[in-house]
Formats: sequence, C-alpha cells, structure tokens
Amino acid sequence: MTDPEPFCVILFDSTSEALLAEKLFKKADIPHKVIPVPRHLSSDCGVCIRFSARDTQRVKTALDGRVAVRSISPLD
Amino acid sequence: MIYEIDARGLACPQPVIMTKKTIESGKDCVVIVDNEAARDNVCRMATNLGCETDVEEREGYFRIRVTRGTARKEKKSVAPATGPTVVVFPCDRMGKGDDELGNILIRGFLHTLGEISPKPDVMIFFNAGVKLTTEGSDVIEDLRALEGEGVKILVCGTCLDFFGLKDRLQAGIISNMYDIAETMLSAGKVVRI
Repeated sequence: MTDPEPFCVILFDSTSEALLAEKLFKKADIPHKVIPVPRHLSSDCGVCIRFSARDTQRVKTALDGRVAVRSISPLD
Repeated sequence: MIYEIDARGLACPQPVIMTKKTIESGKDCVVIVDNEAARDNVCRMATNLGCETDVEEREGYFRIRVTRGTARKEKKSVAPATGPTVVVFPCDRMGKGDDELGNILIRGFLHTLGEISPKPDVMIFFNAGVKLTTEGSDVIEDLRALEGEGVKILVCGTCLDFFGLKDRLQAGIISNMYDIAETMLSAGKVVRI
C-alpha cells in the first residue's frame, strides 16, 4: 500500500497557502497528496502536501516566489 | 435518618447540584424547593440517577422525597456497541461552510483513516458522496488501501446513476438501499461525515 520511495512534506503558514500550493503542484504535474500535518511535525490542525523526495527540486521551482513555504521535511 | 436539604431561595442549578451530591454520597434525602422549575429539575435528575421521587406540595413550597435503591437496578446501562462500525459519506466534502476547505478535510480524513486503527468495518457513500469513489476523485488510492485492509465499501447505485458515474466507479462495490439500510440499522455505531 505504501510507496517504498521516500516522501517529503511541505508545510505552510496557512491552509489557504496550502491550497494555492496544491494548484501549483497540479499545474506542474507533480504527483502529490494533501494530508493532515503529521503529529510529530506539528500539533497544529493543519494540512500539508506530501510528495516524492526526488521531486523536491521541481517543487521548489514550482512554488518559488508564489507561495511562502514554512518548511520542507523528509517524512519518516 | 432522612437528610433534609432546604433549597428554597437558591438560584437555578443549585438545588439540583446539592441533591445530586447527596444522592452520590449514598444518602436518601428530602429536598425543599420553592418553585416548579426547581421541582422538575431535581426530580428529573434524581430519576436519571435511578432514584424514586415523591413530591408533596405544601403552601409555597414543595417537599421532594428522594429515595435511592429500588429503581436503581432499572437504571439503563448503556450496552456497549457490538455491531460493526459504519462510516457514512453523504457528501464529497467534510462539513459545511467552504467547499474547497471541505474537500481538503475529507481528503485528510480518508488519509487519516488509513493511518489509524481500528478501521471502520463498512463505509457507505451516497448522494454526492459517491463522487469520492469515482474517476477523478483524489481519494481513490486511500479507498483502495482501506478495501485492501478489509473495509467494505458500499456505493449507492441510484446515486452513481443519477450523476452519470456508474461506469466510472474506481473503488468499492455498487450497492442498493436494502444493503445500505440494513447495514446502518445493524451497526454498533454509525459515524456520519
């Protein structure tokens, strides 16, 4: 069920920024999944976007200057 | 000895609280209140705690005799839910307010169901909820993974038909109102999203 390849998650300061970022993911055709922020990363009731670690550079490029990113972390 | 509580002149929840404490400390009591609302509230609370009440109306006040015991056995013990846990999805969003937010929330919810246990036994999708199970839905993988873990997914056939999605089903099985109604009524717990 789970993909063996490593994932990263990207966090934002607000849900609306996460929504905006998702549109940019779609536009850039980067596989992703919007998920609740994992408990170990933050206790906020927020959403983040999970993507394959190998797409990290593409993600950065797609979002650059368009959405404020709080952090990108590997997902264990 | 009968413990007497004179609750005349006391504001609303006070007579109830005093009576409740007395019952819980294991004593029978007589409660004196000066208005009908207090009388009714005290009686209702006492009955809920399995006590018997006997009200005498006097001039300007009520004497409520509260007796523990006999009725106590009849106190409803809530039977633990034994049937299956059923989660129903009447909509392709979670909550009302903002559709975009509701879409994010339902995706988060279904992702989280995959991460936590126990899992639901059955998930039922009807009305716009069926859109979650068809082509183009963002949660197909989550639903398939849940199916893979033994969660039964029932999708309302009438609804698929209504939305013209019958040949686009990607997760779950097409079901009918008999199955849906029976599943809901034989459930130990129904969680409505």
